[in-house]
Amino acid sequence: MSDLWEVLLRHFPEFRSGFLVTVQLVAVSFVIAVVVGLVIGALRVTPIRWARLLGGLYVEFFRNIPLLVLLYISYLGLRRAGIEIGPWVAGTASLGLYTAAYVAETVRSGVFAVGKGQIEAGLSLGFPYRKVLSQIVIPQAVRSVIPPLGSLVIAMIKNSAIIGVALGLADDLLKQARLINSRTFQTNEVFFWAAVGYLILTVTATFAVRFLERRLVVRR
Amino acid sequence: MTVKRNMRWLAVFACVFALVGAACGDDTEPTDGDTESPVDEFPAGTTMADLQEAGTITIGVKFDVPPFGFKNPETDEVEGFDVDLGQAIADALGVEPEFIEAISDNRIPFLADGTADLILSTMTITTDRDAEIDFSLPYYVAEGRVLVPGDSDVTGVEDLAGTTVCTATGSTYEENLKTNAPEAKLRLVDTYSECLELIQTDSVDAVSTDDVILTGMIISDDTLKLVGDGYTTEPYGVGIAEGDTEFKEFVDGVVSDYISDGRWAAAYENWIGQYTGEAQDPPTMTLEEALELRPCEEMC
Repeated sequence: MSDLWEVLLRHFPEFRSGFLVTVQLVAVSFVIAVVVGLVIGALRVTPIRWARLLGGLYVEFFRNIPLLVLLYISYLGLRRAGIEIGPWVAGTASLGLYTAAYVAETVRSGVFAVGKGQIEAGLSLGFPYRKVLSQIVIPQAVRSVIPPLGSLVIAMIKNSAIIGVALGLADDLLKQARLINSRTFQTNEVFFWAAVGYLILTVTATFAVRFLERRLVVRR
Repeated sequence: MTVKRNMRWLAVFACVFALVGAACGDDTEPTDGDTESPVDEFPAGTTMADLQEAGTITIGVKFDVPPFGFKNPETDEVEGFDVDLGQAIADALGVEPEFIEAISDNRIPFLADGTADLILSTMTITTDRDAEIDFSLPYYVAEGRVLVPGDSDVTGVEDLAGTTVCTATGSTYEENLKTNAPEAKLRLVDTYSECLELIQTDSVDAVSTDDVILTGMIISDDTLKLVGDGYTTEPYGVGIAEGDTEFKEFVDGVVSDYISDGRWAAAYENWIGQYTGEAQDPPTMTLEEALELRPCEEMC
């Protein structure tokens, strides 16, 4: 037990810096994932055929390539093609765009969860399509999208650990833990604290999602 | 995914093709009547006896570090200076070597958990590592140098301030560079092949590690150049599980025979000398001298 605390105290600066890098990676990737995911999700449910096709292409591309491969392509591939992409941009963009594919699918399923009958009812009552969306479909869809979105955020936090592994794109929490381990060889202690760091983030995300769910719940 | 398994498949394919011409014979014995010296017997319970019982020895080597340990893309076999020494140790036991990949980051755990019986992966002898595992005599002495693109202005480790330098996670260069180029930004990756990718795509300004590894990079890309003098001395040792004194003595014996009977010089010429055009004498450094070069930094 004393070893456990000793490792944390002795290497706190490295753990902290790695933790903060992971927080930044996750925050930037989250914004990209939600913004892009909403746009692509919207494309996937429009009545316009080519837009649906475009959204489908995006989802299938990013969902069917392993994140690690995506990181290599986005960094080395683009750099070999002469585009001077930075490690930070490649890392957050890959994680964000990858997660966006899942967000888009969640949005699509949320919209589809609202019965077609409601849309038809709204339209037949004389609401314009725009109003049907903003007043009937979206408020209900948001509620059903929040819980799966929480799972996606947790998956994204954990996936962020891959960024530091690929070509050393970021000195994140896992990377720092591995560096400490390579000097101290205290594998169990070091990775225990790395796990705690990731737990802090995922538990925070879980509570944030619960809070949102409660705020948006329909009181019956 | 061991080399051995791949080899077995290769053997199967080879047999299929050979069937056209001749029968597929027993490939375990050399046919030229090679009279190898009989191997020693060891007391039961020693690692050597256990390995002879098993008939194989698992050796962790690098798979991407020419000319020490690398997978030859044409034959799919692992080759190099480290591999040759590993083969010599296996021969001294009369067993088959099985080479597995050990990167800088996992090679010490591999010994502790028994994944590998020996580690021969360009590993510098340090006091910190010696607290976790045992080392053989130094079997090669490398120097730390700097590799840059051909058009770079960097002329040595002293010019690295403000640049981004690539080296491997868990290698001695994390510390070497912090000491010798404190102003440099480090890019720490898992394997040296990633460093090569990064310098080729101008993602880093320089790579710094052992001269022989850098030489290997120049062999694959001659637009790169080595600059500056050696700024560290890196004696390589064979990694052995901590506390296995008999096995360490056995490996030491093989290493000193390998150095004294000319096999070292032949391997040097084959893997390094013919590319650098430089001659080098086998190391005469003792383990104690090697350890003094790297006093305790962290956990002892």
